[in-house]
Amino acid sequence: MSIPATAPNPSLSAPAAHLVASLPDFTSAAYKDAYSRINGIVIEGEHEACDNYKAIGILLPEQAEELDRLARMEMKHMRGFQACGRNLKVTPDMDFAKAFFAPLRNNFQAALAEGKVATCLLIQAILIEAFSIAAYHIYIPVADPFARRVTEGVVKDEYLHLNYGQAWLKAHFGQVKEELMTANKANLPLIKTMLDAVETDAAQLQMEKESLIEDFLIGYQEALSDVGFTTREIIRMSAQGLG
Amino acid sequence: MFGLIGHSTSFAVARKRAEELGYMEHAKGDLDTWCSTPPQLLETFTVKSRTGKEITGGYIDSCFLPEMLPARFKTAARKVQNAMAYAQKNGFSVTALGGFTSIIFENFDLARFQKVRSTMLEWQRFTTGNTHTAWIICRQVEDNAPRLGIDLEKAVVAVVGATGDIGSAVCRWLKQRTGVKELLLVARHQGRLETLQQELAGGNILQLEEALPQADVVVWVASLPKNVEINPNTLRRPCLMVDGGYPKNLDTRIHAPNLHVLKGGIVEFWRDIGWRMMQIAEMERPNRQMFACFAEAMLLEFEGWHTNFSWGRNNISLAAMEKIGQASVRHGFRALGLSDLVTAPVLSIS
Repeated sequence: MSIPATAPNPSLSAPAAHLVASLPDFTSAAYKDAYSRINGIVIEGEHEACDNYKAIGILLPEQAEELDRLARMEMKHMRGFQACGRNLKVTPDMDFAKAFFAPLRNNFQAALAEGKVATCLLIQAILIEAFSIAAYHIYIPVADPFARRVTEGVVKDEYLHLNYGQAWLKAHFGQVKEELMTANKANLPLIKTMLDAVETDAAQLQMEKESLIEDFLIGYQEALSDVGFTTREIIRMSAQGLG
Repeated sequence: MFGLIGHSTSFAVARKRAEELGYMEHAKGDLDTWCSTPPQLLETFTVKSRTGKEITGGYIDSCFLPEMLPARFKTAARKVQNAMAYAQKNGFSVTALGGFTSIIFENFDLARFQKVRSTMLEWQRFTTGNTHTAWIICRQVEDNAPRLGIDLEKAVVAVVGATGDIGSAVCRWLKQRTGVKELLLVARHQGRLETLQQELAGGNILQLEEALPQADVVVWVASLPKNVEINPNTLRRPCLMVDGGYPKNLDTRIHAPNLHVLKGGIVEFWRDIGWRMMQIAEMERPNRQMFACFAEAMLLEFEGWHTNFSWGRNNISLAAMEKIGQASVRHGFRALGLSDLVTAPVLSIS
């Protein structure tokens, strides 16, 4: 006598050894080709972060000094990633990188022109930072030894800015909640588009899109929670554009 | 504050649950969506002990789904690690790893990966809950066999999944504390079975098909392999089956006289808990009933034993079972018994 089980009963015999990532061949043409775009993106990302923090400093003059310090840190990161490219003898594809960030940059510039601090902070200090940190986390275990050291150093610094943006938004949550929800709706789908655009290159570097998205959402949801959103709001907000 | 890490029993159940909660994107989302969804704290609630003590806990859905295995084992591992990191970052003192969570942790040897992003996992904040589960299963055998006229001192008891963490603890207890006439040890790994037999200084190693027709009591702590079918006509009557495996794949929907199947490792609390999460685990009384492993986290919080009380494989001592068992009774838990069965006691095996 046999009836279907109410719950699936999966095999749990997957080889545990496979959970440890094997390193890619950093010298292969395919790796270097993919790396030229990924390296371009991180260099451009850090460069834009520098510009964006300086720009936010104009909107928040009392914070300008702190923001300028952050901006300088981003420049240091940029130089670190430039060294990673040189180390692998790869020329970063900066044209690709600029086009990659263009939609998000345009939204940031529009918000800046309208003096929307919360939108600027959501884009730079929450979205882009969470995206970067997720990418760095996933990259570190599969990076070449030189880039690994550089990226580990960058990740330590990056946690500081995320907290900075959160702290300001948290302090002004009552006034900026609606603006943040609107900004989320407009900008989160861009993150999905950006992830799709680098899916193949990231896979060449052994970075899986699925874990990139999950890692990004963990950081993003954590930031939204700290800022003041409820679990229900967060789940709905993060489903917009990433589903 | 204590934590419970759980997950839906299937993709279909998860979608239905998401719809009920109003998360339409997840309700409509495909498996890929769930694979990249982070853990969520779905509920917080207070629990009041019979002693009067009140504690607060939270239910974290890891967003793991059984359908992710075996192909997406990396995803499964990540779900467990991320849920544990979430619990720790959010200050849960002790968190139980429910459902497949502890099984994945153990089978994939996730103790090798202590660092999850910026979080260094502190193992003492987690418990598999297996000590309490083992104790509850033993209580279920001891309390219910006599009610069917089965005298344990004259009975043959088969333990299926005998070499696992819970299975070996159940064997130890039944051999040393309950004094069953004969213990049949059933498991896949011959080497581990022999080690267990030596440790117990007793027990007969048998194949499943050989053991079942001899047993007055069968304790399942492993799920029945998909391709195995059992003819109930070959089983002894009366026969008590305690289904302590996960997922539970002995069912109670088809009648077969004098075969009595109990949901193993399930406890009922003395009063209602204002939570909704046990509805997805398909408990008969979801406001009071839960997996014993979850209850272990509550017990550790009630007692202030902030330690990984159950951890690793085959570390469960009889003293630890006694200790958690006494706490279980003190705070108002009891094992599910034959009188809790809503439907007539029956058997089918899938």
